[in-house]
Amino acid sequence: MLYADYPLAEQDGFADFHVSLAPPRDLRRWFRPQVQFRFDGYSPFKPLPLDQAFPMFEWGLNWCVSNHANRYLIIHAAVVEKGGYAAILPAPPGSGKSTLCAALVNRGWRLLSDELALIRISDGKLVPIPRPVSLKNASIDIIRNYEPSAVLGRMVADTMKGTVAHMKAPANSVARASEAVRAAWVIFPKYKANAAACLEALPQSRAFMRVAENAFNYSLLGVKGFEALAGLIDVSLCYDFTYSKLDEAIETFAALKPPTP
Amino acid sequence: MKWRLMSDQALRLRSWDDEFVVYNNLSGDTHLLGSAAAQVLLKLQQAPSDAITLAESLASLLRVEMMDESLAPQIENLLADLNALALIEQTRF
Repeated sequence: MLYADYPLAEQDGFADFHVSLAPPRDLRRWFRPQVQFRFDGYSPFKPLPLDQAFPMFEWGLNWCVSNHANRYLIIHAAVVEKGGYAAILPAPPGSGKSTLCAALVNRGWRLLSDELALIRISDGKLVPIPRPVSLKNASIDIIRNYEPSAVLGRMVADTMKGTVAHMKAPANSVARASEAVRAAWVIFPKYKANAAACLEALPQSRAFMRVAENAFNYSLLGVKGFEALAGLIDVSLCYDFTYSKLDEAIETFAALKPPTP
Repeated sequence: MKWRLMSDQALRLRSWDDEFVVYNNLSGDTHLLGSAAAQVLLKLQQAPSDAITLAESLASLLRVEMMDESLAPQIENLLADLNALALIEQTRF
């Protein structure tokens, strides 16, 4: 259901990652079935209950990309695009990043990712990796109510992140998965109960340090990572954004002006 | 005693407004610096220097009166901080 719009890879064609989900070969499978994520023939994680197979698939794919795709500077961030300009939303868990991302892509923004900003080292552009948006706990009903036509997968309870459900990526975002885009805004979202939407300019140097803190491979890339991040900050307007109501957040994003060249 | 950049320090430095971000290729760390610290690094990139000379240069750059007696100890503290970050080291030459 959530992957219906994706083209299938050609048989025997090249693939970056070879992954599978299968029950571990132990006695437990007879009385408490589990699932194991396998990557290139080995199992990087402990098995989880079988019911958590789909979340494990998504978390496993994120792990594959964030640990191996080092031709990109990889930031833990949602990325959405409108009018040829990308907004990067770096944030730690609990900031409301994925909820905001889900709302934005249901209001005309293109989904590049709800989890991984891939900044191409060679030209600084953001490379899409549009996959289902991970929603947790209260966010699931918030998005269901916000956009009743949004397609959500089955809710899975008692995971390490609580109850999770994934929202299908818009077909148009999947179809445009090969279209890289320039960065325009770096926005640190923070959900705060009852707060009015507030977009506050953030000095670029401070934004640099905070994006670096949210990067998976900044240190690994060394000076290339520094230059890639400096290039991103050079071309971006940087903000802190506090919000509680999604409609207000959408209005704020709609009013964003791209940077002047 | 003079100070210099650490040997093999490539000093990648970028500025936005009046703040600087510096990448230390020796430690792999990135630091957020104010303009005084950045100017000290840039001066030491040109040549080794002592605290008094650096204070004089900075006084002129930052348009502060050299007579301000607090400047020299501040530069000493700054040099100690940059040394702790493995960006600069002392030299006898």
